[in-house]
Amino acid sequence: MAVSSPPAVATAPKADREPGAGFNWAAVLFMAPAALFLAVFLAFPAVYTVALSFNRARRGEFTEWVGLDNWIRLFTEDPNFLRLGFPPSGALWNNVLWLVFYVSLCVLLGLVIAVVATRVRYEAFIKALVFVPQAIAAASIAIMWRFIYSPDAETGLMNSILGIFNVGPVSLLGSPDTVNWALIAVGVWSSVGFTTVILSAAIKGISSEVLEAARVDGANETQIFWRIIVPMVSLPISVVAVTLVVNVIKLFDLIYVMTLGGPGAASRVIAFSMYQEAFPAGQFGYGATIAVVMLLLLIPVMFFNIRRFRAEAVQQ
Amino acid sequence: MTAIQDTTVKPQPRTASERLARMVSKSPVHIILGLVGLIWLIPSLGLLITSFRPSADMRASGWWTVLVEPRFTLANYERVLSAEGMGGAFLNGLWITIPSTIGPLVVASMAAFALAWVRFPFRDTIFLVIVAALMVPVQIGFIPLVTAYRESGLPLLDTYAGVWLAHTAYALPFGIFLLRNFFITLPKDLIEAARIDGASNWNIFRTIVVPLSVPAIAAYGIFQFLWVWNDLLMALVYVQRNSLQPMTVKVTQLLGTYATEWSLLSAAAFLIMIVPLIVFFSLQRYFVQGLLAGSVK
Amino acid sequence: MRKFRLIAPVMAFVLVLAACGNGEDGGADGTGAPEGLEEGDGSIVVTSLWGGAEEEAFVAVLDAFTEETGIEAEYEANRTDYATVLRTRIQGGNPPDVAIIPGIGFLRSFARDGSLIPMSDLGINREDIEGNYASGILDVGVVDDELYGVMVKLNSKATIWYSPERFEEMGVEPAEDWEGLLQLTEDIKAAGATPWSLGAADGWTLTDWFEITYLKMHGAEAYDTLFSPEGDWTDASVQETLDVIFGELLVEDNVDGGVDGALATAFVDAIGQVFSTSPSSELYYGGGFVGGIATGQDVNPDLAGQEGTAIDWFPFPTVNGSGEGLVTYGGDVMAALVADSDVAAFMEFMTTVESGQTWAEGGTIISPIVDVDTAVYPTTLIQAEAEQVTSAEAVRFDGSDLLPAGPDLGALLQSALRGEDMGSLLEEFQQQVTTAWEQE
Repeated sequence: MAVSSPPAVATAPKADREPGAGFNWAAVLFMAPAALFLAVFLAFPAVYTVALSFNRARRGEFTEWVGLDNWIRLFTEDPNFLRLGFPPSGALWNNVLWLVFYVSLCVLLGLVIAVVATRVRYEAFIKALVFVPQAIAAASIAIMWRFIYSPDAETGLMNSILGIFNVGPVSLLGSPDTVNWALIAVGVWSSVGFTTVILSAAIKGISSEVLEAARVDGANETQIFWRIIVPMVSLPISVVAVTLVVNVIKLFDLIYVMTLGGPGAASRVIAFSMYQEAFPAGQFGYGATIAVVMLLLLIPVMFFNIRRFRAEAVQQ
Repeated sequence: MTAIQDTTVKPQPRTASERLARMVSKSPVHIILGLVGLIWLIPSLGLLITSFRPSADMRASGWWTVLVEPRFTLANYERVLSAEGMGGAFLNGLWITIPSTIGPLVVASMAAFALAWVRFPFRDTIFLVIVAALMVPVQIGFIPLVTAYRESGLPLLDTYAGVWLAHTAYALPFGIFLLRNFFITLPKDLIEAARIDGASNWNIFRTIVVPLSVPAIAAYGIFQFLWVWNDLLMALVYVQRNSLQPMTVKVTQLLGTYATEWSLLSAAAFLIMIVPLIVFFSLQRYFVQGLLAGSVK
Repeated sequence: MRKFRLIAPVMAFVLVLAACGNGEDGGADGTGAPEGLEEGDGSIVVTSLWGGAEEEAFVAVLDAFTEETGIEAEYEANRTDYATVLRTRIQGGNPPDVAIIPGIGFLRSFARDGSLIPMSDLGINREDIEGNYASGILDVGVVDDELYGVMVKLNSKATIWYSPERFEEMGVEPAEDWEGLLQLTEDIKAAGATPWSLGAADGWTLTDWFEITYLKMHGAEAYDTLFSPEGDWTDASVQETLDVIFGELLVEDNVDGGVDGALATAFVDAIGQVFSTSPSSELYYGGGFVGGIATGQDVNPDLAGQEGTAIDWFPFPTVNGSGEGLVTYGGDVMAALVADSDVAAFMEFMTTVESGQTWAEGGTIISPIVDVDTAVYPTTLIQAEAEQVTSAEAVRFDGSDLLPAGPDLGALLQSALRGEDMGSLLEEFQQQVTTAWEQE
């Protein structure tokens, strides 16, 4: 992509090793506060954590070098982290489920709601409503959904409704087969507002002539959605998707307050496992090992970012 | 306001029957949005109603039964509000949240400005590294940072200082990402012209970039405010004096060992939610613009 | 100890005269603190995870302590993330003076981390306080032959809760042996009701089930071995116990909401299924604290005062003819994180009959101190519970609280409840437990 448009480079803010981009005091002064914070609060703990993963780490301090023990244990002896088989299970696998379904559903629903809402007068109201969960703490979201998912048909809305049709009661959070889907649904519910707001704004940036031309050519609404709207907002979609991927890898609160990783360990995710091993169980070295896995997962995300970033720089 | 609707090829309806026909043709749209509205409204509504129900009722029947058998109480709110120190905890929350919001706004916008408009070596690489830092989970900092705080000899854990610094730091990657992407969309000519007139970087930042970027900065500010206000874990770890704890912590202290007082928690959830909702709705205008510009160039 | 009790009223008098209770009094009051124990600053912070009524009852004990010694005592509830908060406070150099720790796994972990002060460093020796407790109670707080903690409250975990009124309506009666319990379950079903409520979303409720049944079936010795580093979870006795509980009793049709429903029901919500104003099942097995929760504000305050008619418990029955007089119990252990004279005075105070009595009056706990008069417990339910524990042939501490932190017995039992094949899961669990014991 970058190769095809050489003149763009001149206007792009792509300054690496560019002539005229020498040492600059102003840059140092502007960057210094952020650099200091990032070094102390993010880089230092990250490096510390990597080192800790080779240690017993009582109290979270360096106490006893254990080599690769934590790593071997994590990948060979911990079925709660990863159990290969069919279907696979464990925290790492659950993150994969989240990654695929949470991210795609958030984007798709966000797009659909954004597109459909442009056709009605109460658009602002719908968008505000969908956005409200963003302002609510995970603990409160957990209580809201408790009243919906409760297996008790008296107090659980879902089972109360199913009861009318003589179905159930079903216990979505109580069965390992459904618990992840039920949690992903809550995750999507709480994040769609974010994607809707951003994508809706992007859709409004599409010139009306393009859409009109398509309609004149006889395209139906579904075709317009997939062939015109989706490609034209692909950049914002990728921004939103990266944010959601980061959300998934760091996902912790919702699991912690809704199921505590259960039943069994069926709904654990890596950030939850890391917390669980390090703090309640006091196995900081082992917890650190899981944290390093999280950090390693960022590498593909970074590569994606670099590519997108290059593409963007060229577009300008 | 709606691009798609305005370009509809059909002429505007003139008669009542045409209008009706149009309504009908659009009914799938209303049905979809009605459904969306319901799905997003019902959980919150359930929580709101539960917060006004006696807890014995809450265990016996669903919140929707108030339609046939309305019975409400303020007892849950009374229990939360009358708890010793709840007022103080509310103020503590503001004391924690406001500096923890302003701090990253200042630090992130300065860095974002440099990354967008000041040329220096490895600028884009540095930006990418900062974006990658989005992935660092806050939990890995707990032990090393608390230890470092202690060893620094400064009163960081007995005051708000420790939590301010931590919140500021963890908000930076997202802030720098968002603001740099916004700043870079500002008109290049304007900034170059100011440079030619001899304006310093600081003046360009202060008089051109910041004023033109209010929506983006506000959007980021709202996100950060919501996040810090709703936070429990960071406060538990970095505020090590009970009298300084915010409402989120205070509420958990009202619960029994098994923490299943849903009625109490529902009431508390709404009390905690008031401030973020006020902030959100009063700044909503900026919010959308800011997020938009940050992601869609 | 005894010396302290005599001297305390005198001290209180002196303090009133002195008008300002500062820290110096703490060390000078003859608590038997060893030489070199640092003078306290006249105040202590005690942390645990209770709020609400439990907190009120405990604060009354702290007030009694302050009255007696002049040392200010503040209670700090850390309901969520208890271990996280404690670990980061210790690391930040701001530990609470005293922590009341749920789970002996935690106690051991903190003790071996060097975060806890041995009782002997506070001038409290096991011999001096041994007489205040039933045998075995102090052993719970011993780590590597050193006494680090003293149990301050306990609850029986051999109580099955029910409503006598509703039993009468159905024409059924409490069971005395396992056969009887199975029959009772059938009879309740025959009467058109659902027998058991389970709060299996909280895995620990299932560990309680497992522990009492295992203890009854296989005896105290096997129990002690299983929950020690020598324990073997692949032993046939474990599978037998699981078969009895999850194969005979807690099967799909006997459980409120079915197995999946139970797995999504939290502990207190399950109590509500039996004791709310609109109950849906008849039996709940859980610790003695169930009574307080069921009659409390969160479930059904109308039940308060109807103990014995609307709510009561019967002892967990013998299993296949064995286990008469065996009782499991759970409890919290108090340990010091700071060594000074104020803390020493508090730890001493907490071993006195007076403190036990004050706390017992609050109606939320059973005091492990033998001389606490059972008459002070405010309800007949708690009195009976206290008698069950004190008159038991042998009592055994909650086993899952004895296991090292990490391996999740509750999660394992959730799988058993679902009827999964336990063979390979038990092997995996055995491996995790072995690693965890080694890691301690």
